[in-house]
Amino acid sequence: MFQLPTVQFTEEQEQFRLEVRDFLQEGMAKGKFVPKCDSWLSGDDPEFSKLIGQKGWIGMTWPKKYGGQERSTIDRYILTEEFLAIGAPVAAHWFADRQTGPLLLRYGTEEQREFFLPQIVKGECYFGIGLSEPNSGSDLASVTTRAEKVDGGWIVNGQKIWTSNAHLCHYMVTLVRTSPFDGKNKHAGLSQLIVDLHADGITVVPIKFLTGEHHYNEVFFDNVFVPDNMVVGQIGNGWAQGLAELAFERSGPERILSTFPLIDELIQELKRKKNAEGLKQASKIVSRLWSLRNLSIGVAQLLESGDGDDVSIPAALVKALGTKFEQSIPEITRLLVQTYPTLDAQRKIDRFMAESILHAPGFTIRGGTSEVLYGVVAKGVVTQ
Amino acid sequence: MSEMKDMILEVVERMLKENVDKDLVDIVEQGNWLSEVWNLFENNGITIVAISEENGGAGGDLEDLLNIVRLTGKYAAPIPFTETTLANYLLEYTNLQVVSEPATYMLSANQAYTLEDGKLTGEAIHIHWARHTKRLVTLANSAEGIHLVEVDLSQAEITPGTNLASEPRDTVKFQNATVSQISNALSFDEIRTMTILETAFQLALMTGAIDKINDLTVQYTKEREQFGRPIHRFQLVQQHIVNLAGETAVALAAFNNFVDALLTNKHSSEVAYARIRFEETIQAVATISHQVHAAIGTTHEHSLHQYTRRLWSWRDEGKNTAYWTDIVATQLLENSSDSLWAYLTGTKLALKL
Repeated sequence: MFQLPTVQFTEEQEQFRLEVRDFLQEGMAKGKFVPKCDSWLSGDDPEFSKLIGQKGWIGMTWPKKYGGQERSTIDRYILTEEFLAIGAPVAAHWFADRQTGPLLLRYGTEEQREFFLPQIVKGECYFGIGLSEPNSGSDLASVTTRAEKVDGGWIVNGQKIWTSNAHLCHYMVTLVRTSPFDGKNKHAGLSQLIVDLHADGITVVPIKFLTGEHHYNEVFFDNVFVPDNMVVGQIGNGWAQGLAELAFERSGPERILSTFPLIDELIQELKRKKNAEGLKQASKIVSRLWSLRNLSIGVAQLLESGDGDDVSIPAALVKALGTKFEQSIPEITRLLVQTYPTLDAQRKIDRFMAESILHAPGFTIRGGTSEVLYGVVAKGVVTQ
Repeated sequence: MSEMKDMILEVVERMLKENVDKDLVDIVEQGNWLSEVWNLFENNGITIVAISEENGGAGGDLEDLLNIVRLTGKYAAPIPFTETTLANYLLEYTNLQVVSEPATYMLSANQAYTLEDGKLTGEAIHIHWARHTKRLVTLANSAEGIHLVEVDLSQAEITPGTNLASEPRDTVKFQNATVSQISNALSFDEIRTMTILETAFQLALMTGAIDKINDLTVQYTKEREQFGRPIHRFQLVQQHIVNLAGETAVALAAFNNFVDALLTNKHSSEVAYARIRFEETIQAVATISHQVHAAIGTTHEHSLHQYTRRLWSWRDEGKNTAYWTDIVATQLLENSSDSLWAYLTGTKLALKL
């Protein structure tokens, strides 16, 4: 079985954690945001993103020449944990910070980096991720949105679906087919294009989430022109480029902490009631959280040391285990305290319960279903 | 971490691989004592790792020792290695002299033994390996409080017993036995520290056994064919493989992280979290591994049970989940002003801006 490194935070890192926490607690006290469960998907607040940008907390690991801080992956891990633990509204800049920036740093042109990264860092430029299509969910290689070469660029036709926050985003990194499907090599012929979501021929149509909230969308492409300089990396290399992002996407604290505000409120509630028996039960949740955090930080440390090949299996495992954990929290909570979940409840635990129950089904679906991850991990373990 | 760690672990793993197999464990489970394996460990200086050099130790630190214990768990090594090394670690911790013969320990504070004028009286049950060891390091109550004492087991009346894994767990009775060494009366914190150490050793053993069960199970899914293909090709079996891998990864990471925390003394709750989580891990690992192995895994001939029976035994020895959840619950109540997150991340530094 793979061995993940352990991480001892330095004193500077502990200080940084407290600095972030202090900032967030003050912001919350001043009413700058209302904490939420699953805030990295549902907490979109451009004003808050700009505030974070001013602190230097978007793209903080990126080179200074693009506006980054050249901080470590572990520093960013700490920052992300603090955002999620309190339930801060980080959804607007989330994907640009987590995925687009690293993608452009790895595969983008100098022109793309210089144009996009400084805007992302300021919290003013948001990206969507255009992967799934109506007939292409887990079987992503079957995407049919196509781009045809024309003079100076590409013409894109087709449709993406489940694109989180596309209605708020400026751009979308879009996986398209640039040569016809080849059954023998189905991962070939895919490319990544940066599509301006305000370009002619784009239609963004909301899909209401089961709560009625607007998080994700359908995005239609009708003869959308994408200039050549918006191709990411190489034409035909989109699958490999996309895979490289996955370890970052799959193993972060957002796969463990989506319902953390509820756990915290559960503990507070049990403490207020001096419910020792309830706290004993809840300490099992704390132990599970601690165990998962060890794994997730271990993967972050592997990513920091750049040992990329070994990361994909543990990263997939962290997502599979972590999302199952966050999904279980409301079901455990309701056995320990009496709640009446509604989204507009005055009582905090009732509101967090409602958010957690209603968002929970998505945890084990988004970013790779558990079934797909199980397949990846099983093959990895067997061939080890 | 000691620089010797990798080298020592490599030597120990090779020793175990070459000298301990299923048949040997079977022989010991029938109540025999195999001095060859013990002598191998003793002659190679493995039994005195983490004892300070001025007390005749071999150097190395607690992390080295716990990792050796982990390996003995991985091979179900049928010797009182954990017992002897923990007994000596406790003796050093309380400023007593270490012992050179095989030893065992008893830390349950159920007041089994009383101490009066340097004489030990009483009866305790489930003492590991007592019949095959020479020295007992045990808690004992006197009028002054609780002490750690070391006593020669030749003075004891020993009634053999076993746990679910057929490991020796004996009843040990003393009547006015002369103790060789007595510690000062121990504080609550010192006794708590000993309990944490005992738990750390147990977790190390469990980690090794879990790791082995994972190896055995993955290997089996590659060798066993049904419907014309190896069973790891079936998605429902893959689900077992991943759940088992997840539990194993959790156990290994928990082990490494609590050892780190133990050595830096940063946050003593890690042992509690690990011990609580391990009971869930053990349940899952035992269930999954037996299901995947199917009928053959339920036979005495197969080695799987040597690990699952040990896990089923060890989880009920020492302090179990009920004890540790109580401690975490109490800590949470005492930190009433803190959020759970502040408690969990354990940053008590003053903010310097």
